[in-house]
Order: sequence, then C-alpha cells, then structure tokens
Amino acid sequence: MKHLIPANHKARAFVEAEAEGRADEVRAMNSLVGCTTSFDPGWEIDAFGALSNLCQPMEADLYGCADPCWWPAQVPDTMGTYPNWSDSAPDVVRDWRNLQSVFPETKG
Amino acid sequence: MKTLTLSAALIAVLALPVQADDFILAPAKPDKLVVVNADKMAIEKVIELGPENGPMPYVPVVAPGGKLAYVTVNKSETILKVDLISGETLGRIDMSTPTERVKGLFGLALSPDGKVLASFQSPVKLEPSHFEVQPTRIALYDAETLEPTLTFPAPRQVTLVMFSRDGSKIYAMGRAMHVFDAATGQQIDEYPMHSWQAETYLQPDILDVWSQHESSGVMVTPFYTARKDMELTNPEAFRTGMLTLDLDSGEMAMREVRIMDVFYFSTAASPDKTRAYGAYNVLESFDLVNNTALKRVSLPHSYYSVNVSTDGKTVWLGGAASDLAAYDAETLERKGSVELPGGASMSLASVRLFTRDE
Repeated sequence: MKHLIPANHKARAFVEAEAEGRADEVRAMNSLVGCTTSFDPGWEIDAFGALSNLCQPMEADLYGCADPCWWPAQVPDTMGTYPNWSDSAPDVVRDWRNLQSVFPETKG
Repeated sequence: MKTLTLSAALIAVLALPVQADDFILAPAKPDKLVVVNADKMAIEKVIELGPENGPMPYVPVVAPGGKLAYVTVNKSETILKVDLISGETLGRIDMSTPTERVKGLFGLALSPDGKVLASFQSPVKLEPSHFEVQPTRIALYDAETLEPTLTFPAPRQVTLVMFSRDGSKIYAMGRAMHVFDAATGQQIDEYPMHSWQAETYLQPDILDVWSQHESSGVMVTPFYTARKDMELTNPEAFRTGMLTLDLDSGEMAMREVRIMDVFYFSTAASPDKTRAYGAYNVLESFDLVNNTALKRVSLPHSYYSVNVSTDGKTVWLGGAASDLAAYDAETLERKGSVELPGGASMSLASVRLFTRDE
C-alpha cells in the first residue's frame, strides 16, 4: 500500500480499517454487482500494453461502462447513482458532448 | 403422368416445413426494444417501454412463437413482459422492495416451453444506518402470471443463466458452471472452469454477459490463459480458448484455439455446432471440431454481441453502438446493416435472435 494514496472517502476508510485489522468490512464486494468492483485495466491501456484492444471508438463503449456500473470511477454509473446521466445522448457516438461531469454530494 | 408428377412435386413442396423468418430483438437507449426482420434487414417495430423503465433495457428473452418477450429494465430492478406485436407491456415484476434493493443484472432465461422465467438476483438490504449485502439467488416466476414460484441460493458472480433444452436443468455460469434442478432448485452438479487443465494452463480468465445461444443451443464463450511451460515474457505463451456448453447434451468442453493476440467480447456458435464466431474489434471464425481459428476480418467499430442465423449463413453483430451488422458466415464479408432509430446505443445489452410463428 505504500505506493497508493487514498483519494476519496472510501479509500481513506479502507486504509483506516486495514490498520485496525478490519479490511474485510470495507473491501469491495467480490461481485459483479455493486459498483467499484472492477479493478482490471482496460480504460487507459489494454492488456497488451497498447490501445488497439480498447473499444473503437471509445464513445461506443461509454454506456457499456456506465450502464452496468462497470467503471464507476471513469464514467457515472447509470444503474445506481446517476440514472439520468445519458438522457441527452442516446446516440452516444454523435451526441457524447452532451454527457456532463457529475459531482457527488458530500457525505458526512 | 406429367400432371401426376407435377402434382406430386407440388405436394412435396407444400409438405416441407415453412422456413420462418429470423428476427432480432435489440434493446436500445433509453427504453427501446427494436424488432428487426433479419431476413429482410428491415426494422419491423420499435417499442418504447416508457421513461420509468430506462436508462437501458438489458437482457431480453423471447418466448416460443416470437410474439412475447421479457426484459430487464429500470436499472435492472424490474422485469417487463412485453407483447412484441402490439408493443404493449403486459405485466411487470418489480424485484426491489422499499427495504431491499434487488438487481437482476445479466442472468435471465425462459424455459423452452415458455412457462418459467429464471432470474439471477443480487439483493441488498437497505437498513436505516447501513446496507447489508444478501446472498445471491435464482428466482423462478410463472411466466404467465409473473408470480414467484421458487427461490433458491446461487453462488455470487453468476452472469449467464440458461435452461437445458429439455427444460429440466438450469445452468448458471460464474466462476464455475453451476447446474441446478429446474424443478426443485437443488444444485445437482458443478463443472469446474478455473481449474481447467491446471497442470498446463494458468487459471482461465472468463467473462461473458451476453445471452445469445438460441440458434445453436450451444453457449460458447471465449477465455484467455497462458501456458505454464513457457516463459510469460514470450507473447506466444498466451492463448485464447473456447468454452462450450451444449444445452442439448449438457456436455461442457474447454479447448485452446489459438495464440492470443486480440480479444473477443463474446462468441456465438453455428446451428450445426461446428463453428464459433467471436467479435469485438475483429470478427473471427473458429472451427470447433479441429479447435483452430479459420478467418479474421477487421470491423469498422467495436461490437459486443454475436448471433448466428438459423440457416447458419449469416453472422449478426450488435451491441455497443447503434447498428446491427450482417456478415457472411463463410467469407466474413459484410452483407449489410440495420441502423437503429435515432442512432440509439445498444450498450451492453444482450441482442437476441429468434423466429416467429406466422
């Protein structure tokens, strides 16, 4: 963990819990459902260390990443937190400029 | 004699089974089901399920006869029963309650007789101070009344759910192939996937979220691994394999088909069960008898899903963007495409091929 710096509330909770021996309580669910579950590379670089096995064009993959909450750090998840994120761009390849950044409400 | 021969020929022709047209059911953003006549390469009907059922219909399954479908909607918390002719919603199963959120993300299947709907579900109890993850399960519903009939535990990480073709078993693919008795919900078998030929290969990487096995009765999914007898610095150590589950015989098989140099998001088998077709940024055909790759062509953009026509001559690609593309199953030459209305994205949805009784 020495090379990783917690960047958000959940990550900080994880670091604190790990120090207290409670890592399992906050560890991401080992499940395909529940968000923040997929840590494998795939957005910035493909498994071959290149780009050709990323989606082409990348816009075609936006909803494949958003709708199943697959990459909730890279795109808003429409399955849970931001169901209306894609409303203004059903044709994502043409209208991706309509997709906006999201700003989570502060908790606690 | 000539008249008699002609009459006999005419009777013989009339006696032949009428080849029903192939149709495709493609979900699209934000709430659409698009029915496409695949033989005519023409859109037949666009069904809008209503804004409350967005942002994406995910997994549809078509009932025998081709006139009814069930589809997961509403952030994968609801299953709708839809009349594909009128476009009317006939009923709904809301899996979530005010105190429990239930997602039915990928696994949805209908028994071959069209009477039982099976849904893989991930429940989370919504307590006032915290959420509590509950055990995953498969829920069965009466497909006519939509009433629940049986719920039984199923392991986590299941994506695909399939009935055997005789309807007696339910297969759930996760980190292994779990086999359940469709009548009782008892787990009756389990086929290992991760430990396949462990002396020779590293643990296979398997992920498949696309239900698309109708025309062949074979679920086929690509997997990726590496040979243990080669240095991992050698690119040729990495191998692509195909996992097949024959829903007629119940036989599951895994085999290596080539050195891994590209990915396929999903694959589908030919009706004669001898070929597989994989798609993502390329379309590639595979020989499932001799376990070899046959032919590869580049694609104009990424496609997630693959279906093979019932005559085995056309490979239909879909998913990701907004077009269904037809390729010749032998030459892999592009034959044409159907653009969905408004360029609506198919996202990660399953695209299903079916035939319709006239």
